[in-house]
Amino acid sequence: MEAVNTVESTPVQKPKKRINQQKLQDNLWGWLFTSPLIIGTLVFVYIALIITIVLSFTDYDGGNLMDYLSGGLHTVDGNPFYWYKYIFTDADQFKYFYSGLFNAVFYMIGIPIGMFLSMFFAVCMTRDIKGGNVYRIIYYLPSVASSVAISYTFQRLFQFEGAINQVLFGTDQTKYIRWLAPTNVTGANEAWNPAFLTMKWVIIIMGAWKGLGGTIILYVAGLSGVNASHKEAASIDGANGWITFWKIVIPQLWPTIFYNIVTSVIGGMQIYAEPDMLFNGAYGFDFRVSGYVALIVKWGPQGNNAGHPNFAYAATLGIILAIMIAILTLVQFYLDSKADK
Amino acid sequence: MSEQENKVSAEIESGAPNKFVDVLCLVLSKLGFSTKYYKGSKQSGKIFMDVLDYLVLSLVGLIMLYPFWWMICASFASSTAAVTQTVIWFVNPTWANPLRNNEAFYNFSQFFVACETRFGDANFFIIVLNTLLYSIVPVVVGVITSTSAAFAFSKIEWKAREGVFFGLLAAIMIPWPSIMIVQYCMFVIFGWTENGLSMWVPGLFGSIMTAFFIRQFLYGLPTSIIEAAKIDGAGYWMIFWRFIIPLALPAMMAQGILSFFGAWNNYLGCFMMVDNTRWYNLPVVIQKLTQDVSATMGQGVVMAASLMSVIPVLILFGIFQKQIIGSLMLTGSKE
Repeated sequence: MEAVNTVESTPVQKPKKRINQQKLQDNLWGWLFTSPLIIGTLVFVYIALIITIVLSFTDYDGGNLMDYLSGGLHTVDGNPFYWYKYIFTDADQFKYFYSGLFNAVFYMIGIPIGMFLSMFFAVCMTRDIKGGNVYRIIYYLPSVASSVAISYTFQRLFQFEGAINQVLFGTDQTKYIRWLAPTNVTGANEAWNPAFLTMKWVIIIMGAWKGLGGTIILYVAGLSGVNASHKEAASIDGANGWITFWKIVIPQLWPTIFYNIVTSVIGGMQIYAEPDMLFNGAYGFDFRVSGYVALIVKWGPQGNNAGHPNFAYAATLGIILAIMIAILTLVQFYLDSKADK
Repeated sequence: MSEQENKVSAEIESGAPNKFVDVLCLVLSKLGFSTKYYKGSKQSGKIFMDVLDYLVLSLVGLIMLYPFWWMICASFASSTAAVTQTVIWFVNPTWANPLRNNEAFYNFSQFFVACETRFGDANFFIIVLNTLLYSIVPVVVGVITSTSAAFAFSKIEWKAREGVFFGLLAAIMIPWPSIMIVQYCMFVIFGWTENGLSMWVPGLFGSIMTAFFIRQFLYGLPTSIIEAAKIDGAGYWMIFWRFIIPLALPAMMAQGILSFFGAWNNYLGCFMMVDNTRWYNLPVVIQKLTQDVSATMGQGVVMAASLMSVIPVLILFGIFQKQIIGSLMLTGSKE
């Protein structure tokens, strides 16, 4: 549209026409080259999001979506916010909701642990030693392996008679820890029951082990970008290594660290496969370990409610997840900008 | 004798209150720490820290590698109990016969059998082909479409450029689990959940993150090449295929391989979006197999299957580790 306008509004002069031709070309090819990505994003993300928002106000419970949409939208009991109210007023559903949230947030304990460890190893690897990049490769290996394979491996490693207990406590079975299946559980089957802490720790350990390499590489890249002359100036002024690290290196590394925190929190909110694999959740919701996304799966087409899927409710849960992640991200950016001042 | 003398004279010079403190401080100085009586030796201190560094890194490196080693051992173990008791080797002395049926690859052959019987029309080769289809076709085509978008965003001046770019960038804020149910419904309408199209067609359109990364890379290239080509009469189509693709190839390779890993290991996507067992990929097959684990088919089969899903990506990573790590470093320093 714009391209056509510019052609019309210009007087007919030879050199200018050439420029306009170029502009037309620029606009045409700009749109053409981006069109696959634009179409893909529009159809599979934006239209999907709009339908998700619309469905969250309806009573859609599976079946062909086209038939449903063409048959007109129907709210439940004439209340478009029925499902939004349902989550927070139905005692059962509310418990699912905050248990999933509690578990997902609890696993985020792994984020600072992972950051501390990766920072430590990144510093170890950037000291001028030979073969530092070999370690980088070894530490990154877990990140490329499939979480399904890794989860089943860890599930076996942490068995009562498994390798971890054998390595830690030898043959003395009285000391063995029941990591995955705590016995003598007192209290209810609830997310915050401390009896299930060992189960959560296995997931956190696995996450730290799997994610360490990626974060290390980010930090190694950041560390090698730190201005060497600043470090030298600090050491001439009499700062020791520790002070230099905190006052010179960390501030310059902060953008990398901040990026890492934001992506880890976004990823952490979406944890699904690991708890489901480790504890054979069978597409349902396990109060002890499941994260929030397990709820969406549970009410979706493949969930253990498969006979009675409730897509409208699943859509509502999805919208709430998107809102929560957006708020969390904004809060982090707000805190970051406040810290800058 | 002379060593003794040295120490004695050092004690006198350093003025330490007693011999023990003196020796302790001397050792510390050799390790690079300065104390009241001795100045830390920089040279030997560096050696000491290097040794410590290697020790720590190697020890933790072993922890990083151990589960893979364990996976290899366990995939040969004869029963679920033997798998569980594996620590450093699958031969367990309390078991008379460490290998079931004296067949080293019994678990692997069992996995082939399970693939054929459990998943309808599918068999092992179909499942591997599915996984390859899902991870090669969308990745190769998707990286090219992402690069074309990145080219338009970095090297062509067009009207709506900034608006479109931020419109796309905003889309990465939307978490996939939020919209996966509706995506599934859309794929059902298209009929894609029955023939595997749901797993690779969306990928053909490219990915925003890949486009964003390659755009950063293309910014670093001189625009003069494109200007020169334009003067010679080359159109954007030709510039894209003749100049941009070859120049951006390292970044494309690295991004492509990373996407390949993601697609090869994609569990949730295949599990949500595929209704027909004929079109399952490896992670979903492994997950479904665990429900069949029994006395006759021990956990070793699951470990054998897991190993088979892990080995191809490990080999690929080994070949391309330089490019992958380099690309990751680039994201790290750019961000």
